[in-house]
Amino acid sequence: MMEMKVLNMLVPMTLSGLVTTLGVFIITLVVSVPLSIVVAKLRMSKNLFVSNITAAYIYVMRGTPLLLQLMFIFFGYHYVPVIGYAFGRYQAIFVAFILNYTAYFAEIFRGGINSIDVGQYEASKVLGLSKSHTFMKIVLPQVMKTVMPSVGNEVITLVKDTSLVYILGVTEILKAAKAVSNTYATFSPYIYIGLVYLLITAVLTKVLNKVENKFNYYR
Amino acid sequence: MVLKVKDLGKSFGKTSIFKQVSFDVDKGEIVCIKGKSGEGKTTLLRCINDLEKADAGSIEINGLIMCKEENGHIKYAAKDEMLSIRQEIGLVFQSYNLFPHMTVKENLMEAPLFLKKMPKNQIEQSAMELLNQLELDGKENSYPYQLSGGQKQRVAIARACMLNPSILCFDEPTSALDESTRMQISKIIRQLSAQGIAIIIVTHDNAFVDEIAQRVITLSKGSISEKLI
Ligand SMILES: Nc1ncnc2c1ncn2[C@@H]1O[C@H](COP(=O)(O)OP(=O)(O)O)[C@@H](O)[C@H]1O
Ligand SMILES: [Mg+2]
Repeated sequence: MMEMKVLNMLVPMTLSGLVTTLGVFIITLVVSVPLSIVVAKLRMSKNLFVSNITAAYIYVMRGTPLLLQLMFIFFGYHYVPVIGYAFGRYQAIFVAFILNYTAYFAEIFRGGINSIDVGQYEASKVLGLSKSHTFMKIVLPQVMKTVMPSVGNEVITLVKDTSLVYILGVTEILKAAKAVSNTYATFSPYIYIGLVYLLITAVLTKVLNKVENKFNYYR
Repeated sequence: MVLKVKDLGKSFGKTSIFKQVSFDVDKGEIVCIKGKSGEGKTTLLRCINDLEKADAGSIEINGLIMCKEENGHIKYAAKDEMLSIRQEIGLVFQSYNLFPHMTVKENLMEAPLFLKKMPKNQIEQSAMELLNQLELDGKENSYPYQLSGGQKQRVAIARACMLNPSILCFDEPTSALDESTRMQISKIIRQLSAQGIAIIIVTHDNAFVDEIAQRVITLSKGSISEKLI
Protein backbone atom coordinates (compact mmCIF):
# COMPACT_ATOMS: atom_id res chain seq x y z
CA MET A 1 0.00 0.00 0.00
CA MET A 2 2.76 2.24 1.08
CA GLU A 3 4.59 1.53 -2.21
CA MET A 4 1.50 2.69 -4.15
CA LYS A 5 1.63 6.03 -2.39
CA VAL A 6 5.31 6.33 -3.12
CA LEU A 7 4.76 5.59 -6.80
CA ASN A 8 1.77 7.94 -6.96
CA MET A 9 3.99 10.77 -5.89
CA LEU A 10 7.15 9.64 -7.70
CA VAL A 11 5.79 8.99 -11.20
CA PRO A 12 4.45 12.49 -12.00
CA MET A 13 7.50 14.11 -10.37
CA THR A 14 9.81 11.85 -12.33
CA LEU A 15 8.06 12.67 -15.58
CA SER A 16 8.45 16.41 -15.07
CA GLY A 17 12.01 15.90 -13.78
CA LEU A 18 12.71 13.91 -16.92
CA VAL A 19 12.01 17.03 -19.02
CA THR A 20 14.87 18.79 -17.24
CA THR A 21 17.20 15.78 -17.35
CA LEU A 22 16.67 15.14 -21.05
CA GLY A 23 16.50 18.84 -21.91
CA VAL A 24 19.90 19.55 -20.36
CA PHE A 25 21.26 16.39 -21.96
CA ILE A 26 20.07 17.12 -25.49
CA ILE A 27 20.84 20.83 -25.58
CA THR A 28 24.34 20.28 -24.16
CA LEU A 29 25.04 17.61 -26.75
CA VAL A 30 23.64 19.48 -29.74
CA VAL A 31 25.57 22.67 -28.94
CA SER A 32 28.79 21.22 -27.50
CA VAL A 33 29.73 18.76 -30.21
CA PRO A 34 29.87 21.23 -33.14
CA LEU A 35 31.29 23.96 -30.90
CA SER A 36 34.02 21.64 -29.66
CA ILE A 37 35.27 21.07 -33.22
CA VAL A 38 35.78 24.82 -33.52
CA VAL A 39 37.48 24.94 -30.12
CA ALA A 40 39.74 22.02 -31.08
CA LYS A 41 40.82 23.95 -34.20
CA LEU A 42 41.50 27.06 -32.06
CA ARG A 43 43.46 24.94 -29.61
CA MET A 44 45.61 23.73 -32.52
CA SER A 45 46.01 27.22 -33.97
CA LYS A 46 49.52 28.34 -34.91
CA ASN A 47 48.71 31.66 -33.26
CA LEU A 48 50.16 31.17 -29.77
CA PHE A 49 47.80 33.68 -28.20
CA VAL A 50 44.74 31.86 -29.53
CA SER A 51 46.01 28.38 -28.68
CA ASN A 52 47.10 29.41 -25.17
CA ILE A 53 43.80 31.09 -24.34
CA THR A 54 41.97 28.00 -25.55
CA ALA A 55 44.28 25.73 -23.58
CA ALA A 56 43.62 27.79 -20.44
CA TYR A 57 39.87 27.54 -20.94
CA ILE A 58 40.10 23.77 -21.38
CA TYR A 59 42.34 23.49 -18.33
CA VAL A 60 39.91 25.36 -16.11
CA MET A 61 36.89 23.43 -17.35
CA ARG A 62 38.53 20.06 -16.93
CA GLY A 63 40.41 21.01 -13.77
CA THR A 64 37.42 22.03 -11.65
CA PRO A 65 34.22 20.16 -10.79
CA LEU A 66 31.17 20.86 -12.94
CA LEU A 67 29.26 21.39 -9.70
CA LEU A 68 31.54 24.29 -8.83
CA GLN A 69 31.20 25.73 -12.33
CA LEU A 70 27.41 25.66 -12.01
CA MET A 71 27.57 27.52 -8.70
CA PHE A 72 30.12 29.98 -10.00
CA ILE A 73 28.12 30.90 -13.07
CA PHE A 74 24.84 31.21 -11.16
CA PHE A 75 25.93 32.83 -7.89
CA GLY A 76 29.32 34.17 -8.94
CA TYR A 77 28.26 37.54 -10.28
CA HIS A 78 27.58 38.75 -6.74
CA TYR A 79 31.22 38.26 -5.92
CA VAL A 80 33.04 38.39 -9.24
CA PRO A 81 31.95 41.58 -10.96
CA VAL A 82 33.67 40.62 -14.24
CA ILE A 83 30.83 38.23 -15.00
CA GLY A 84 28.69 41.35 -15.00
CA TYR A 85 25.51 39.50 -15.73
CA ALA A 86 23.07 37.62 -13.55
CA PHE A 87 22.19 34.40 -15.32
CA GLY A 88 18.78 32.86 -14.81
CA ARG A 89 18.78 29.36 -13.35
CA TYR A 90 18.32 27.59 -16.65
CA GLN A 91 20.66 29.94 -18.49
CA ALA A 92 23.33 29.20 -15.91
CA ILE A 93 22.77 25.47 -16.30
CA PHE A 94 23.07 25.55 -20.08
CA VAL A 95 26.10 27.85 -20.03
CA ALA A 96 27.93 25.70 -17.47
CA PHE A 97 27.12 22.39 -19.14
CA ILE A 98 27.96 23.64 -22.62
CA LEU A 99 31.25 25.23 -21.52
CA ASN A 100 32.24 22.14 -19.57
CA TYR A 101 31.34 19.52 -22.16
CA THR A 102 32.73 21.56 -25.05
CA ALA A 103 36.12 21.44 -23.31
CA TYR A 104 36.03 17.65 -22.96
CA PHE A 105 34.79 17.08 -26.52
CA ALA A 106 37.38 19.55 -27.86
CA GLU A 107 40.20 17.47 -26.40
CA ILE A 108 38.71 14.32 -27.92
CA PHE A 109 38.44 16.00 -31.32
CA ARG A 110 41.96 17.38 -31.06
CA GLY A 111 43.23 13.84 -30.55
CA GLY A 112 41.13 12.68 -33.49
CA ILE A 113 42.34 15.43 -35.81
CA ASN A 114 45.96 14.74 -34.82
CA SER A 115 45.54 11.06 -35.64
CA ILE A 116 44.84 11.78 -39.31
CA ASP A 117 47.85 10.98 -41.50
CA VAL A 118 49.55 14.02 -43.11
CA GLY A 119 49.31 12.10 -46.37
CA GLN A 120 45.58 12.86 -46.40
CA TYR A 121 46.29 16.59 -46.32
CA GLU A 122 49.05 16.28 -48.91
CA ALA A 123 46.91 14.25 -51.29
CA SER A 124 44.16 16.86 -50.92
CA LYS A 125 46.62 19.65 -51.59
CA VAL A 126 48.08 18.19 -54.78
CA LEU A 127 44.55 17.53 -56.02
CA GLY A 128 43.73 21.22 -55.60
CA LEU A 129 41.20 20.86 -52.78
CA SER A 130 40.91 23.94 -50.56
CA LYS A 131 41.83 23.80 -46.88
CA SER A 132 38.23 24.09 -45.71
CA HIS A 133 37.03 21.46 -48.18
CA THR A 134 39.84 19.17 -47.06
CA PHE A 135 38.84 19.58 -43.43
CA MET A 136 35.10 19.12 -43.95
CA LYS A 137 35.14 16.34 -46.54
CA ILE A 138 38.40 14.46 -46.04
CA VAL A 139 39.52 14.96 -42.44
CA LEU A 140 36.36 15.37 -40.39
CA PRO A 141 34.56 12.23 -41.62
CA GLN A 142 37.61 10.18 -40.65
CA VAL A 143 37.91 11.98 -37.32
CA MET A 144 34.27 11.16 -36.55
CA LYS A 145 34.99 7.48 -36.90
CA THR A 146 37.99 7.55 -34.56
CA VAL A 147 36.38 9.72 -31.88
CA MET A 148 33.02 7.95 -31.72
CA PRO A 149 33.94 5.56 -28.85
CA SER A 150 35.30 8.39 -26.67
CA VAL A 151 32.42 10.70 -27.50
CA GLY A 152 30.08 7.86 -26.56
CA ASN A 153 31.69 7.62 -23.12
CA GLU A 154 31.19 11.33 -22.52
CA VAL A 155 27.59 11.08 -23.66
CA ILE A 156 26.87 8.43 -21.02
CA THR A 157 28.65 10.54 -18.38
CA LEU A 158 26.56 13.54 -19.40
CA VAL A 159 23.32 11.70 -18.61
CA LYS A 160 24.47 11.18 -15.05
CA ASP A 161 25.96 14.67 -14.73
CA THR A 162 22.54 16.22 -15.38
CA SER A 163 21.72 15.32 -11.76
CA LEU A 164 24.08 18.13 -10.67
CA VAL A 165 21.54 20.82 -11.54
CA TYR A 166 19.90 20.15 -8.14
CA ILE A 167 22.49 22.57 -6.71
CA LEU A 168 20.61 25.45 -8.36
CA GLY A 169 17.30 24.22 -6.96
CA VAL A 170 16.08 22.74 -10.24
CA THR A 171 14.20 19.46 -10.04
CA GLU A 172 15.40 16.65 -12.23
CA ILE A 173 14.80 12.96 -11.67
CA LEU A 174 17.26 12.38 -8.83
CA LYS A 175 15.90 15.34 -6.89
CA ALA A 176 12.36 14.05 -7.46
CA ALA A 177 13.42 10.77 -5.85
CA LYS A 178 14.92 12.61 -2.92
CA ALA A 179 11.67 14.56 -2.30
CA VAL A 180 9.59 11.38 -2.34
CA SER A 181 12.10 9.57 -0.15
CA ASN A 182 11.98 12.35 2.43
CA THR A 183 8.18 12.50 2.40
CA TYR A 184 7.67 8.78 3.02
CA ALA A 185 10.92 8.02 4.83
CA THR A 186 11.73 5.23 2.39
CA PHE A 187 14.70 4.39 0.19
CA SER A 188 12.76 2.80 -2.66
CA PRO A 189 12.42 5.96 -4.85
CA TYR A 190 16.18 5.92 -5.28
CA ILE A 191 15.99 2.39 -6.58
CA TYR A 192 13.31 3.32 -9.10
CA ILE A 193 15.33 6.31 -10.26
CA GLY A 194 18.42 4.14 -10.55
CA LEU A 195 16.42 1.97 -12.92
CA VAL A 196 15.37 5.03 -14.92
CA TYR A 197 19.04 5.99 -15.37
CA LEU A 198 19.84 2.44 -16.45
CA LEU A 199 17.00 2.55 -18.96
CA ILE A 200 18.21 5.83 -20.46
CA THR A 201 21.76 4.46 -20.63
CA ALA A 202 20.54 1.25 -22.28
CA VAL A 203 18.76 3.24 -25.00
CA LEU A 204 21.79 5.49 -25.51
CA THR A 205 24.17 2.54 -25.70
CA LYS A 206 22.01 1.08 -28.48
CA VAL A 207 21.95 4.38 -30.35
CA LEU A 208 25.71 4.88 -29.93
CA ASN A 209 26.40 1.38 -31.21
CA LYS A 210 24.25 2.11 -34.25
CA VAL A 211 26.20 5.30 -34.93
CA GLU A 212 29.54 3.52 -34.49
CA ASN A 213 28.43 0.83 -36.90
CA LYS A 214 27.52 3.47 -39.43
CA PHE A 215 31.22 4.31 -39.60
CA ASN A 216 32.23 0.70 -40.07
CA TYR A 217 31.72 0.71 -43.81
CA TYR A 218 35.44 1.31 -44.25
CA ARG A 219 38.67 0.66 -42.39
CA MET B 1 59.37 21.37 -72.44
CA VAL B 2 56.63 20.74 -69.92
CA LEU B 3 58.95 20.98 -66.93
CA LYS B 4 61.93 23.24 -66.51
CA VAL B 5 63.82 23.04 -63.23
CA LYS B 6 66.72 25.45 -62.90
CA ASP B 7 69.31 25.81 -60.13
CA LEU B 8 66.90 24.40 -57.58
CA GLY B 9 68.14 24.25 -54.00
CA LYS B 10 66.60 22.95 -50.84
CA SER B 11 67.75 22.75 -47.23
CA PHE B 12 66.03 21.71 -44.04
CA GLY B 13 67.31 24.17 -41.50
CA LYS B 14 71.08 24.13 -41.92
CA THR B 15 71.22 20.80 -43.74
CA SER B 16 71.45 21.27 -47.46
CA ILE B 17 69.63 18.45 -49.28
CA PHE B 18 70.47 19.45 -52.85
CA LYS B 19 71.87 22.48 -54.67
CA GLN B 20 71.88 23.83 -58.22
CA VAL B 21 69.68 21.05 -59.56
CA SER B 22 68.65 21.70 -63.18
CA PHE B 23 66.83 19.46 -65.64
CA ASP B 24 64.07 19.62 -68.23
CA VAL B 25 61.38 17.12 -69.09
CA ASP B 26 59.68 16.97 -72.47
CA LYS B 27 56.08 16.09 -73.33
CA GLY B 28 55.46 12.36 -73.08
CA GLU B 29 58.97 11.62 -71.88
CA ILE B 30 59.72 9.00 -69.21
CA VAL B 31 62.43 10.29 -66.91
CA CYS B 32 63.77 8.39 -63.92
CA ILE B 33 65.45 10.12 -61.03
CA LYS B 34 67.55 7.60 -59.20
CA GLY B 35 69.86 7.72 -56.27
CA LYS B 36 70.59 5.99 -52.99
CA SER B 37 68.20 6.18 -50.11
CA GLY B 38 68.35 9.52 -48.32
CA GLU B 39 69.82 11.43 -51.28
CA GLY B 40 66.80 13.72 -51.49
CA LYS B 41 64.79 12.19 -54.34
CA THR B 42 61.49 12.41 -52.51
CA THR B 43 62.30 15.95 -51.40
CA LEU B 44 62.99 16.97 -55.00
CA LEU B 45 59.68 15.46 -56.13
CA ARG B 46 57.87 17.19 -53.28
CA CYS B 47 59.36 20.53 -54.33
CA ILE B 48 58.14 20.06 -57.89
CA ASN B 49 54.67 19.34 -56.49
CA ASP B 50 54.75 22.30 -54.09
CA LEU B 51 54.57 20.10 -51.00
CA GLU B 52 57.92 21.53 -49.98
CA LYS B 53 59.12 25.06 -50.67
CA ALA B 54 62.48 25.26 -52.41
CA ASP B 55 64.81 27.99 -51.23
CA ALA B 56 66.59 28.74 -54.47
CA GLY B 57 66.04 28.37 -58.20
CA SER B 58 63.02 28.16 -60.45
CA ILE B 59 60.35 25.69 -61.53
CA GLU B 60 58.30 26.16 -64.66
CA ILE B 61 55.46 23.83 -65.54
CA ASN B 62 53.88 23.98 -68.98
CA GLY B 63 54.87 27.62 -69.33
CA LEU B 64 53.50 28.56 -65.90
CA ILE B 65 55.99 29.74 -63.31
CA MET B 66 55.65 28.02 -59.94
CA CYS B 67 58.64 29.76 -58.45
CA LYS B 68 61.54 31.84 -59.63
CA GLU B 69 64.41 33.74 -58.24
CA GLU B 70 63.93 37.51 -57.85
CA ASN B 71 66.85 39.61 -56.58
CA GLY B 72 68.31 36.82 -54.55
CA HIS B 73 65.01 35.56 -53.09
CA ILE B 74 62.73 32.81 -54.25
CA LYS B 75 59.22 33.95 -55.09
CA TYR B 76 56.26 31.60 -55.45
CA ALA B 77 53.19 32.06 -57.63
CA ALA B 78 50.08 33.55 -56.01
CA LYS B 79 47.38 31.20 -54.72
CA ASP B 80 45.10 31.31 -57.80
CA GLU B 81 48.00 30.85 -60.17
CA MET B 82 49.26 27.97 -58.02
CA LEU B 83 45.90 26.23 -58.30
CA SER B 84 46.18 26.25 -62.10
CA ILE B 85 49.78 25.06 -61.96
CA ARG B 86 48.84 22.27 -59.60
CA GLN B 87 46.39 20.86 -62.11
CA GLU B 88 49.19 20.52 -64.64
CA ILE B 89 51.11 18.12 -62.42
CA GLY B 90 49.97 15.01 -60.57
CA LEU B 91 51.68 12.93 -57.92
CA VAL B 92 51.30 9.26 -57.05
CA PHE B 93 52.50 8.97 -53.46
CA GLN B 94 54.61 6.05 -52.30
CA SER B 95 51.85 5.17 -49.82
CA TYR B 96 49.11 6.19 -52.33
CA ASN B 97 47.19 8.28 -49.75
CA LEU B 98 43.76 7.32 -51.04
CA PHE B 99 40.80 8.66 -49.10
CA PRO B 100 39.78 5.58 -47.06
CA HIS B 101 36.21 6.72 -46.41
CA MET B 102 35.42 7.12 -50.09
CA THR B 103 34.80 4.54 -52.77
CA VAL B 104 37.19 4.26 -55.69
CA LYS B 105 34.83 6.30 -57.86
CA GLU B 106 34.41 8.96 -55.17
CA ASN B 107 38.20 9.16 -54.80
CA LEU B 108 38.45 9.88 -58.52
CA MET B 109 35.58 12.36 -58.66
CA GLU B 110 36.31 14.42 -55.55
CA ALA B 111 38.82 16.89 -57.02
CA PRO B 112 37.21 17.46 -60.44
CA LEU B 113 33.85 17.97 -58.71
CA PHE B 114 35.36 20.46 -56.29
CA LEU B 115 37.20 22.28 -59.07
CA LYS B 116 34.07 22.17 -61.26
CA LYS B 117 36.11 20.90 -64.18
CA MET B 118 33.07 19.52 -66.04
CA PRO B 119 29.42 18.66 -65.39
CA LYS B 120 29.03 15.79 -62.94
CA ASN B 121 27.88 13.19 -65.47
CA GLN B 122 30.92 13.89 -67.66
CA ILE B 123 33.22 13.60 -64.65
CA GLU B 124 31.63 10.29 -63.80
CA GLN B 125 32.02 9.11 -67.38
CA SER B 126 35.71 9.96 -67.52
CA ALA B 127 36.20 8.26 -64.15
CA MET B 128 34.68 5.07 -65.53
CA GLU B 129 36.82 5.29 -68.67
CA LEU B 130 39.99 5.71 -66.64
CA LEU B 131 39.09 2.79 -64.38
CA ASN B 132 38.58 0.72 -67.48
CA GLN B 133 41.93 1.79 -68.95
CA LEU B 134 43.68 0.94 -65.67
CA GLU B 135 42.02 -2.48 -65.47
CA LEU B 136 39.94 -1.58 -62.45
CA ASP B 137 36.54 -2.42 -63.95
CA GLY B 138 34.07 -3.48 -61.30
CA LYS B 139 36.06 -1.84 -58.52
CA GLU B 140 34.35 1.56 -58.71
CA ASN B 141 32.25 0.94 -55.59
CA SER B 142 34.99 -0.73 -53.53
CA TYR B 143 36.69 1.02 -50.66
CA PRO B 144 40.49 1.30 -50.63
CA TYR B 145 40.84 -1.27 -47.82
CA GLN B 146 39.25 -3.85 -50.09
CA LEU B 147 41.95 -3.47 -52.74
CA SER B 148 45.41 -4.99 -53.20
CA GLY B 149 48.51 -2.78 -53.21
CA GLY B 150 48.73 -2.75 -57.00
CA GLN B 151 45.05 -1.88 -57.32
CA LYS B 152 45.40 0.97 -54.81
CA GLN B 153 48.31 2.31 -56.79
CA ARG B 154 46.28 2.25 -59.99
CA VAL B 155 43.43 4.07 -58.23
CA ALA B 156 45.95 6.71 -57.14
CA ILE B 157 47.14 7.02 -60.76
CA ALA B 158 43.56 7.31 -62.00
CA ARG B 159 42.77 9.92 -59.35
CA ALA B 160 45.74 12.03 -60.46
CA CYS B 161 44.83 11.60 -64.14
CA MET B 162 41.30 12.91 -63.55
CA LEU B 163 42.70 16.44 -63.67
CA ASN B 164 44.38 15.83 -67.06
CA PRO B 165 47.90 16.69 -65.90
CA SER B 166 50.75 17.30 -68.33
CA ILE B 167 53.15 15.65 -65.90
CA LEU B 168 52.67 12.68 -63.61
CA CYS B 169 55.16 11.97 -60.84
CA PHE B 170 55.73 8.66 -59.06
CA ASP B 171 57.59 8.17 -55.80
CA GLU B 172 59.09 4.66 -55.61
CA PRO B 173 56.27 3.06 -57.62
CA THR B 174 57.71 -0.45 -57.43
CA SER B 175 58.59 -0.52 -53.75
CA ALA B 176 55.51 -2.51 -52.71
CA LEU B 177 54.81 -4.52 -55.83
CA ASP B 178 55.39 -8.12 -56.86
CA GLU B 179 56.63 -9.19 -60.29
CA SER B 180 53.28 -9.31 -62.11
CA THR B 181 51.98 -6.00 -60.78
CA ARG B 182 55.32 -4.50 -61.75
CA MET B 183 54.74 -5.54 -65.35
CA GLN B 184 51.28 -4.05 -65.20
CA ILE B 185 52.50 -0.74 -63.84
CA SER B 186 55.22 -0.37 -66.46
CA LYS B 187 52.66 -1.08 -69.17
CA ILE B 188 50.38 1.63 -67.74
CA ILE B 189 53.20 4.13 -67.44
CA ARG B 190 54.10 3.56 -71.09
CA GLN B 191 50.45 4.02 -72.10
CA LEU B 192 50.24 7.33 -70.24
CA SER B 193 53.47 8.51 -71.80
CA ALA B 194 52.13 7.56 -75.23
CA GLN B 195 49.14 9.80 -74.51
CA GLY B 196 51.61 12.68 -74.13
CA ILE B 197 51.86 12.80 -70.35
CA ALA B 198 55.42 13.39 -69.15
CA ILE B 199 56.38 10.85 -66.49
CA ILE B 200 58.86 11.46 -63.70
CA ILE B 201 59.75 8.42 -61.63
CA VAL B 202 61.80 8.62 -58.46
CA THR B 203 63.26 5.25 -57.55
CA HIS B 204 66.26 3.34 -56.28
CA ASP B 205 65.11 0.24 -58.17
CA ASN B 206 67.77 -0.10 -60.91
CA ALA B 207 66.02 -2.96 -62.68
CA PHE B 208 62.90 -0.87 -63.05
CA VAL B 209 64.95 2.08 -64.33
CA ASP B 210 66.55 -0.14 -66.99
CA GLU B 211 63.14 -1.39 -68.01
CA ILE B 212 61.26 1.88 -68.30
CA ALA B 213 63.48 4.96 -68.44
CA GLN B 214 64.01 6.98 -71.59
CA ARG B 215 66.35 9.23 -69.65
CA VAL B 216 68.01 8.82 -66.27
CA ILE B 217 68.95 11.53 -63.83
CA THR B 218 71.09 10.54 -60.88
CA LEU B 219 70.92 12.46 -57.66
CA SER B 220 74.05 12.06 -55.61
CA LYS B 221 75.59 14.17 -52.85
CA GLY B 222 73.14 16.99 -53.45
CA SER B 223 73.70 17.42 -57.18
CA ILE B 224 72.69 15.63 -60.35
CA SER B 225 74.22 14.01 -63.35
CA GLU B 226 72.41 12.90 -66.47
CA LYS B 227 72.80 10.09 -68.88
CA LEU B 228 70.86 9.38 -72.03
CA ILE B 229 70.09 5.79 -72.90
N1 LIG C 1 60.67 17.46 -43.40
C1 LIG C 1 61.99 17.21 -43.23
N2 LIG C 1 62.70 17.84 -42.28
C2 LIG C 1 64.02 17.60 -42.11
N3 LIG C 1 64.72 16.73 -42.85
C3 LIG C 1 64.08 16.05 -43.83
C4 LIG C 1 62.68 16.26 -44.07
N4 LIG C 1 62.31 15.45 -45.09
C5 LIG C 1 63.42 14.79 -45.46
N5 LIG C 1 64.48 15.14 -44.71
C6 LIG C 1 65.87 14.65 -44.87
O1 LIG C 1 66.28 14.89 -46.19
C7 LIG C 1 67.08 13.84 -46.67
C8 LIG C 1 66.54 13.33 -47.98
O2 LIG C 1 65.31 12.65 -47.76
P1 LIG C 1 64.44 12.07 -48.94
O3 LIG C 1 64.14 13.16 -49.88
O4 LIG C 1 63.28 11.39 -48.36
O5 LIG C 1 65.42 11.03 -49.60
P2 LIG C 1 65.15 9.83 -50.61
O6 LIG C 1 63.74 9.94 -51.10
O7 LIG C 1 66.16 10.01 -51.69
O8 LIG C 1 65.39 8.56 -49.85
C9 LIG C 1 67.13 12.79 -45.58
O9 LIG C 1 68.33 12.92 -44.89
C10 LIG C 1 65.97 13.14 -44.70
O10 LIG C 1 66.24 12.80 -43.36
MG1 LIG D 1 62.15 8.61 -50.94
